[in-house]
Amino acid sequence: MLCEKCKVREANIRYTEVVGGVKTEYNLCSHCAREMDFGHYSAVFDTEYPIGKLLADLFGLNVEGGENDELDAGQVVCPTCHTAYSDFVKDSRFGCPDCYRVFDLLMSENIKKVQGNDTHTGKKPLHNRGEGQTRAEGNEEEKLLKSIELLDSRLREAVQEEEYEAAARYRDEIRELKERLSEHA
Amino acid sequence: MLKWYQETENQHDVFVASRIRLVRNLTHYPFPVKLSDEGKRELAGKLEEGLKEIGSVCGQDFRRFSLSSMDEREREALRERRALHGAGGENGCMGSLLLSEDEAVSITLAEEDHVRLQCMSGQAELSKLWEEADRLDDYINERFDYAFHEKYGYLTAYPTNVGTGLRAAVTLHLPMLSAGKRFGKLVAEIGRFGVAVRGVYGDGNENYGSLYEISNQKTLGVTEEEIISLVKQMADRLAASERKMKSVTLKSHRADMEDEIFKSYGVLRYARKLSVKEAMTYLSQVRAGEMEGLLQLRKPINLYRLMMEIQPANIRMLVPKEEEGDLNQARAAYIREMLPELV
Repeated sequence: MLCEKCKVREANIRYTEVVGGVKTEYNLCSHCAREMDFGHYSAVFDTEYPIGKLLADLFGLNVEGGENDELDAGQVVCPTCHTAYSDFVKDSRFGCPDCYRVFDLLMSENIKKVQGNDTHTGKKPLHNRGEGQTRAEGNEEEKLLKSIELLDSRLREAVQEEEYEAAARYRDEIRELKERLSEHA
Repeated sequence: MLKWYQETENQHDVFVASRIRLVRNLTHYPFPVKLSDEGKRELAGKLEEGLKEIGSVCGQDFRRFSLSSMDEREREALRERRALHGAGGENGCMGSLLLSEDEAVSITLAEEDHVRLQCMSGQAELSKLWEEADRLDDYINERFDYAFHEKYGYLTAYPTNVGTGLRAAVTLHLPMLSAGKRFGKLVAEIGRFGVAVRGVYGDGNENYGSLYEISNQKTLGVTEEEIISLVKQMADRLAASERKMKSVTLKSHRADMEDEIFKSYGVLRYARKLSVKEAMTYLSQVRAGEMEGLLQLRKPINLYRLMMEIQPANIRMLVPKEEEGDLNQARAAYIREMLPELV
């Protein structure tokens, strides 16, 4: 089928819109689609658009206006164990390790609420530990990296708030930690 | 071999027990909730086979129990002694339990999660327990691949365990502090630091025996060492407050305290029927008195052990089934037998 706008290129995008119960269907090529206004879906055609954000939008998590209630986040199903996101919400229980990957975007914020954090920092299984590196050393290096990361975000905040004295202090601390890190390496 | 809770050496007035629990799951298996009964048994069997020699890690033999074929009374008794996790029953236990001779190490397989590893001790020694759990964890991991996510850490059936999968807990005996009006407020205050305080034995909101467990609420984004030091710190603070209150009360109301303690001893010594609540209340008094040196027993005994062993299922294990009718009578008899005489 040819694109119904330019009638030159092959149509590879079908966009269905339901407004007030009236269904309209468009068959477009990706070039023309980019020029059309599809609200927040327009960004889909932008190559810079992260697929993750698209999913989050589709599942109604970050969508303003909420016109897309038909697509409900609760219907997302883990392909491995068939646990639906709504099951997870109901029981607060995952079905299998893969659920974490599948529901990652949907629940990340909730996990943060429960745990106060969403990134693991502790022990790692044997096969995830660096080769030829003792655990103590690995931990030391990780700790340094983590502190640098933390200070870096504080530094940026301080600059934003125009608190230059604090920013200078953070800058010095970061420099010192980086020196220690290079000594380690 | 003595059970960990039967040890009478180095008992501490406030610290009653320490516990480290790790939750782990294997790759390529759904969590037990999504496994059929057959699947659970199969997984438990595979884990048991791989962990046959686990006793070598801590230098003692392990007993193996199949939870599905175990008598409900025995299961409940293990739960009261903390060797088995509370939630078990509802899904009809299908997994297994590996239990060390002294009951200090228990490994539950294919229940809520694939592996639930727990180390207990009657001393204030969370760091030592963590080292042991860490070693056992590595031993299991050498034989089975764990489900791990770069961001979320060790993956668990419940999001409240994800990350480190670690629960560090200390059981404290707080008869003074918990009797005070401000205890509720104190508990709420401590909660703000990410530490939970809950009664160990009791019924609804009522606590029997003034035993409280302090444990971390968060498991993700904090290291194992941070979790342990937080729990230790909070437990130390509670213990210090308890001791302070005790010394103040001893100074101002010594006679009243002694009176209560000796009355409690008298009831335990001579009563013919005791409910759990009564027994726990009096045992708690006697424990506090003994630790303070107000009352001296002829033989050393771990009174926390008695507090566990007089729980309903444990008492039921002691009496023949046909005499089950009056557990209160059996409980009073058991306490009379176990409680040493006064010096």
